[in-house]
Amino acid sequence: MGFIRCLVFASFAASIINFNLTQKIIASEFEDTISMNSFGMPGDIDLPLATNLPDGQFSVSSSVFGGTIRVNLSFQILENLTGAFRYARVPGGGYNGYTWDRSFDLHYLMFKEKYIFPSVAFGLRDFIGTGIYSGEYFVMTRSFGPKLKISGGVGWGRFAGKNTFNNIFGRNNRGYRDVGRGGTLVFDNIFSGENSPFFSASYRVNERWQIISEFSSDVYSRETSSPKGFNRKSDINLGIKYSFDPTLTVMATLMNGDALGLTVNLGINPKNSPYQSGTEPAPMPILQTKYRSQDPKSEKEIMTESRRLLALEGIELKALKLFQNHVEVGIVNRRYLNVSQMIGRVARILSLTTPSSAKEFQINVIEFKSNLVVSEITMSRESFEENELKFDGPENLLGSVTISNSNKLFFDHYKKKGNDLSWSFYPYLDVMLFDPDSPIRYHIGAELSGRYKITPLTSISGSLRKPITGIMDEVKRGPKSGLPNVRSDFMYYHRDIGSNLFINFLTLDQYLKPAPYLYAVVNVGLLELMHAGIRAEIIWKNNQKPYGFGLDAAKVQKRDTLGNFNLKNEHYSTYLASIYYDLPKDWIVKLDFGKYLAGDLGSTLSIKRSFNNGWEFGAYATLTDVPFSTFGEGSFEKGLTIKAPITWFTGKKSKAVANAVIRPITGDGGAKLNLSKDKYLYNTISEYDTKKIHDNWKRVFR
Amino acid sequence: MILKMFILSFVVFLISCSSDDIVKKERKELYGIYRDLAKKSFEAVPAESSSRGDIRKTRRWLSKFNQPIVLISSTDFKNQATLIALGNNKEKLTWVSADGISLAYDQGILIATRGYSQDLYSLKYKSPEDLFKSPTAFYNKVHRYLNGENRYDDITFECKGKKIPSKTIQILELELTIDRVIEKCENEHYSYKNEYDLLAGTTIVIVSKQWISPSNQYFLTYNMYAFQKI
Repeated sequence: MGFIRCLVFASFAASIINFNLTQKIIASEFEDTISMNSFGMPGDIDLPLATNLPDGQFSVSSSVFGGTIRVNLSFQILENLTGAFRYARVPGGGYNGYTWDRSFDLHYLMFKEKYIFPSVAFGLRDFIGTGIYSGEYFVMTRSFGPKLKISGGVGWGRFAGKNTFNNIFGRNNRGYRDVGRGGTLVFDNIFSGENSPFFSASYRVNERWQIISEFSSDVYSRETSSPKGFNRKSDINLGIKYSFDPTLTVMATLMNGDALGLTVNLGINPKNSPYQSGTEPAPMPILQTKYRSQDPKSEKEIMTESRRLLALEGIELKALKLFQNHVEVGIVNRRYLNVSQMIGRVARILSLTTPSSAKEFQINVIEFKSNLVVSEITMSRESFEENELKFDGPENLLGSVTISNSNKLFFDHYKKKGNDLSWSFYPYLDVMLFDPDSPIRYHIGAELSGRYKITPLTSISGSLRKPITGIMDEVKRGPKSGLPNVRSDFMYYHRDIGSNLFINFLTLDQYLKPAPYLYAVVNVGLLELMHAGIRAEIIWKNNQKPYGFGLDAAKVQKRDTLGNFNLKNEHYSTYLASIYYDLPKDWIVKLDFGKYLAGDLGSTLSIKRSFNNGWEFGAYATLTDVPFSTFGEGSFEKGLTIKAPITWFTGKKSKAVANAVIRPITGDGGAKLNLSKDKYLYNTISEYDTKKIHDNWKRVFR
Repeated sequence: MILKMFILSFVVFLISCSSDDIVKKERKELYGIYRDLAKKSFEAVPAESSSRGDIRKTRRWLSKFNQPIVLISSTDFKNQATLIALGNNKEKLTWVSADGISLAYDQGILIATRGYSQDLYSLKYKSPEDLFKSPTAFYNKVHRYLNGENRYDDITFECKGKKIPSKTIQILELELTIDRVIEKCENEHYSYKNEYDLLAGTTIVIVSKQWISPSNQYFLTYNMYAFQKI
């Protein structure tokens, strides 16, 4: 154990040393963590500031003081709009003297500081949830020179505990909020009840140090009345912030003259890739025909050479056909998250290997898992070669490029070469959050995944898992009542599986492409950990349009909690129609409506902000005909989604992404099947959309 | 418990494997990144070296190459690479190193790099003929980069090119008379000074020191091709 401790301390010391504490911090337009408060929002210590964080910044922060622990995830949704999700341990309550609470905040910067006028912002704290932190504010901030900032504001709810006066809008009565169930939006209370003023001042000693003082109006009544909390001796909060660099700030605080606290703020911005344009190897340069061997080559020789060169780029060449004026290829993209870059690399190889009579390249993209031919990209060879090293090369080339759905349905020249079976053996991590008995539960184990292709469009895929260590099998809380337990009894599966081997999923997958714009899949078998049965999805997608439609239906039976082949005598069915819309300015909207697993009827709205490099941050909410009281804690199904491309962290080409869904409460209302991501067709088909290719076209010569 | 978790996870990670070549390749690259990071963390900070002309290569060394090469070097001479010509697009040559870095030149002017994190994606520049022939020239240059979101970051410079009197340099044990063209460029945030050593009386660049980007700074290029007998 001593060795492990030494190892941990040594790693910690090495990382601290690596921060180069003596160097000057260069201000970043992408990250700013010194301007965050203990709620993970723009602010000083506890109070808000009329500022914003850099557009796109994603922050993780945590603060501890007087028995309170807050963990905040915040995101700069728009240039002026910040949102946060929080999980907090609040003194006073039924779990060992504490309450574990989830909350959401919004902060909007209305005006930026200009001339003598201060910046102005307003915000809603804990506007969905139990309301423990519920409060609203208007705040103004003014800078006096580069170092001093003074703020003042007026607050409602939690912000109106001391020195109160009548509501400036005349709404003196703040309604009661049901703390027990939570999860709902209570608009009636917003800006209601008495008001209090609050003030703060901060002084930036240098790039790294900042000292802060706040005159706070929050009385912390819940925390001060609990033996697990603290005594509120003063209205003053004091703090000192130290910024290691723009992405990491630590703050030490003295809260209300009594409680010492510590806050750590971490921020990254998807726009600020550490590897900028990437460190993947350079593409094959253009070598004009006159410098190459003029010996005629057969189609087979060209195919062999092209396949070899494309394989070096991580692209699989499935077919190549020479015509009088053009060359047509079928390729599988295995490594490029950025499709435009992949197209550029294919064109470079074709330019090198094919005879100059091929004036046009026709590239058919075959989806790896389904074998469906998705998109067809054609481009002029001359234009490609002409623009390789031009200043505005990508823009000039785009005029000669067309992108459309491929008329070919699937790749049918598939020859069995003994590689129909693929498998992998990797560790897995399963995480469950927000259990009050243990807020982070996990299982670490080994996973054996495999896929066998019976025909080009039919395959069997499965995953066997063996938990090695973790505490997911120790969940004490039981399922919810009121609805059939289609999802909320998940803990029984983890409990009964324990550390035994189990089948995560095992399905027969049949892919279909009935028409150029129609794609379908049928999955039969053990669909996911909790359900077995049959599921079918069909989508309509014209890749020149920003929208698509889908229909997803399933008839399932509940699986046994041991994760084996046995089934329970519980039958469910679901059908959902979906509309997908890829809005301009990087927003993707999806609307589902229909019947959910528990038989409830309703709709899900999902909205995601996507970044050109593959990052996505989203939120979704499902409202069905299940009353909030029947749904139970959380009131309705909702969550946050994050998709992070691995290439952003490594600089190497890779299609791998890390997906996370943060679901505050798992209930039975609004529940859907939970198959592996690659079994949902829209995700893979829309990857080759005209819009996505155009948005990233600048990378065609990278 | 933590120890057990740590050891078991590590063991599983070590023995993890796949039948898929692409997955294997990506895993190997990931290991490489961790290895490089660990190496970097415990490496001493390299000493700065500012003198120019420290490249000590001989004709014998050059005779080993049977295809055209250029030699590139960081200004401290600690990182050097030999590149071979793989691309020729309307006399703009692209040179590629064994580890997948490429540099494209238009008559000695570096116009694009690939494989560095802040690559020079493209360049708007004055024609090399005009720059190298005129005693003094004033012009604008635009360095184009791709940012992390695949959008352009352009940096525009106001430049002055000036030819200075002939002098001699030593390269490959040879004493050569060269004309030096100094190119000074600046804008509000950045400034740089490129140097092109031309074979006297010609526009053939033998050695150059050229600025690429704010993070990569300068590269030295030695046009060994000019001395090869192939």
